[in-house]
Amino acid sequence: MSPRLTRRGFLIGTAAVGAGVWVGWRFGVPAGRLAIARVLDGASPPGGIDAPPDAWIEVGEGGVTLYLAKVEMGQGIHTALAQIAAEELEWPLARLAVRSAPTDRGLNDRNGTGASASVSGSWGPLREAAALTREMLRAAAADAWGVDVAGVVADQGRLLHRDRPDEALAYEDVAGRLDPDAVPDELPPFKAKGAYREIGRARPRVDLADKLAGTGGYGLDARMEGMRYGAVARPPRLGARLTAAAAGGAREVPGVTDVVLEDGFAGVVATRRSAAEKGVAALDLTWEGPETPVTQEAVEAATTVRGDDDPGAGVVVQREGDPTRDLRRRTDVRAEFRTAMAAHAHLEPQAALVHVTDGGVEAYVATQSPTLVRDLLAEATGLERDAVSVTATWLGGGFGRRLNVEVATDAARLSRAAGVPVHVAWTREEEFRHGYLRPPVHNVLEARLEDGRVAAWRHRQASGDVAFPFLPAAAQPLLGADFGAWRGATSPYGGMARRATVAERVELPVPTGWWRGLGLLPNVFATESFLDELAAAAGADPLAFRLAHLNEEEDDVQRRLAAVLRAAAEAADWDAPLPEGRGRGVAASVDVGTCVAQVTEASFVDGAPVLHRVVVAVDPGVVVNPDGVRQQVEGSVAWGVSSLLHEEVRIEDGRVGPANFDTYAFARASDVPDVEVVILEGDDVPHGMGEPPLGPVAASIANAVVAAGGPRARHLPARWT
Amino acid sequence: MTDLRVNGRPVQVDAPDDEPLLWVLRDDLALPGTRYGCGAGYCGSCTVLLDGTAVRSCQTPLSVAAGREVRTVDAAPAPRSVAAHVRDALLEHQVPQCGWCMSGWQMQLTATLEATPDVDDTTLIAGLDANLCRCGTYARLRRAATDAARRVRAGADEDAT
Repeated sequence: MSPRLTRRGFLIGTAAVGAGVWVGWRFGVPAGRLAIARVLDGASPPGGIDAPPDAWIEVGEGGVTLYLAKVEMGQGIHTALAQIAAEELEWPLARLAVRSAPTDRGLNDRNGTGASASVSGSWGPLREAAALTREMLRAAAADAWGVDVAGVVADQGRLLHRDRPDEALAYEDVAGRLDPDAVPDELPPFKAKGAYREIGRARPRVDLADKLAGTGGYGLDARMEGMRYGAVARPPRLGARLTAAAAGGAREVPGVTDVVLEDGFAGVVATRRSAAEKGVAALDLTWEGPETPVTQEAVEAATTVRGDDDPGAGVVVQREGDPTRDLRRRTDVRAEFRTAMAAHAHLEPQAALVHVTDGGVEAYVATQSPTLVRDLLAEATGLERDAVSVTATWLGGGFGRRLNVEVATDAARLSRAAGVPVHVAWTREEEFRHGYLRPPVHNVLEARLEDGRVAAWRHRQASGDVAFPFLPAAAQPLLGADFGAWRGATSPYGGMARRATVAERVELPVPTGWWRGLGLLPNVFATESFLDELAAAAGADPLAFRLAHLNEEEDDVQRRLAAVLRAAAEAADWDAPLPEGRGRGVAASVDVGTCVAQVTEASFVDGAPVLHRVVVAVDPGVVVNPDGVRQQVEGSVAWGVSSLLHEEVRIEDGRVGPANFDTYAFARASDVPDVEVVILEGDDVPHGMGEPPLGPVAASIANAVVAAGGPRARHLPARWT
Repeated sequence: MTDLRVNGRPVQVDAPDDEPLLWVLRDDLALPGTRYGCGAGYCGSCTVLLDGTAVRSCQTPLSVAAGREVRTVDAAPAPRSVAAHVRDALLEHQVPQCGWCMSGWQMQLTATLEATPDVDDTTLIAGLDANLCRCGTYARLRRAATDAARRVRAGADEDAT
């Protein structure tokens, strides 16, 4: 590969392949995440010239293929990225093959797929790579014809020249003439927005026809010749360690071929999954610890803001002025909110097929982080990273649970011992009991009002870890507070005179971590519920109160937030009278640069909300696929409704209580309303869509319930009585 | 050896009698369209048709399926069949997100519309509470389900005339 930086600083690499070339590009790392990426990436700067690319555009005799490290988990990312590539490539979307690339094709995506960052991070480099590829194709056609390149037009997979109306060349025809070392020095200008054919169009998802036809492609579907099935013993309670293991009756279970007992690990390989599970149940295992079993009470007691007793507790993540002094003199409104632990409950369980040989590892894993899994497998097998090939499959839901994938190392250990490819899929009970959870959160908000406006605002939140468990220890002092825990906690309302947000870390004996939106849902539930309480105390309309605290002139984000608030309110007929017993609630938030406002019309009947109407206005910047935007809004509303109405994990008998969907409820069809989506196209870059619409969901509904005469929800899930 | 028919073809399976049909389909017959979600009959992702009736294949031992006809999403539905209308509607409304639960919805809706082609929308929509979708595609599912029912009724009218 010959790598070079383009003038915008993105890495572009090229390589010859058969009768064609690859043009690779490196995922853009937003400036705010540079520090984290540096830690994760060792000493090399993100986007560094020595780093392999995140994706390849391959032009060959078979046409154009986009190899992506970004994983399709239902968020439509393969479609959106294909649209972006097709646009500058001038290649028809319907003929653009999209593949999940194995790590050994030079891909190296340390970010994984998450944080709603795939489109925003790809927007610059992918268009550059696509535009450069198109220019190389034009140059090859010019070379073939012996004409000046200026006269060659690239149009939907064909190269045309005015003087040669009957001699159009297909991209495939000139693929063999492409010179990987002849990347143009000057980056061509990107297409003008008015000339877009793909970006901004509601294209159907590239993966759905295959998914509905039941073709394999998910982690649980992976197959290899001679494969067997594995299962692994799990601790009976949180914090227990395996101190002794023997085969017991496992070898006598029909179908069991291998019993693997290693340091702290016990697993079984069999010809059937059911035999492997029976084998594990027949093992003779001794588990010890912990000295003090984990209890729900201990988790709840620990998840408490300490700032009242210890003013130095926590890390200040936002401060303008000193609200604490004001609040000490007079606090007008104080409120507390709590969020329970919750599970990801993605319907396809963790799954991996891994074949370990002396020479290397071949793995197919349902993961959001193929690069991380490659490193884990290299470590587990003692092989070089280059000898490990990990291909991310489609994911049957990700939601943050698959940023760390233990199932791949399970399968690798079993495969190495058994000498055959081994597939491991977790059972639903393993998913619930042995993953990590959305951490519990406690939010304490205080404010002082003057002349109907917020003069002082202080938000202190205490949360279990989100990002910290997955980052090297060195990252923690660098970051200060866990950015995942305080996501969504800071206030976007610049019109508040003095405001501060403080994040306190709660270390829990329960594994917690990434979960869709991270702290966004709990924190915005608290801040936007509280804002309604302040509006009520000030005697103001909740919408007008919000708008009055946005400095639209000073700040583009605040201007865009005000615009989505107005758009949602207008579409929802905010000022129109409602029948007795109905109310409207509004809430808004900014996340990864995307502004979202939701207006909910609800009544409160027999102790539960009835949702009559939900309107969401969203400004995600540039819209790549409006239907994809709508899908993510609809899914986020369902996810938020689910959290508000149902979702809660409690610790019982020293372990995670729920083991299946009879004891862990999430939203069913009748819980989830239709959603009217208003899309405002905001500025000149795309931001993110996978999580931002989750921000206002719970608060908007909770505020509507109060407007309808119901009680104020102080807890996720809500306890309305 | 157990004999059964899967998607119109006779197959022989060498698996224990108590092996769930789900894993027989997936692992013995390499038909990945039927999906595991909970293994306990709660989520409906593994729904297949057994002699035309929707069953949870994770709760159906192989012995129960012996000698019977199993239908899954793995075979392309016949043109203009109920299953084809259901699949077309799910695709046209761009319902799936991650897609994992969708086989279950297809088979559940197909069973409902084959048994009661004149089902009213309220009953059809109430029936959607039987399965789970974690991505939250329920609003589109409602539209696709009622649209598929309209297509089935229109097809029946066409055949009658």
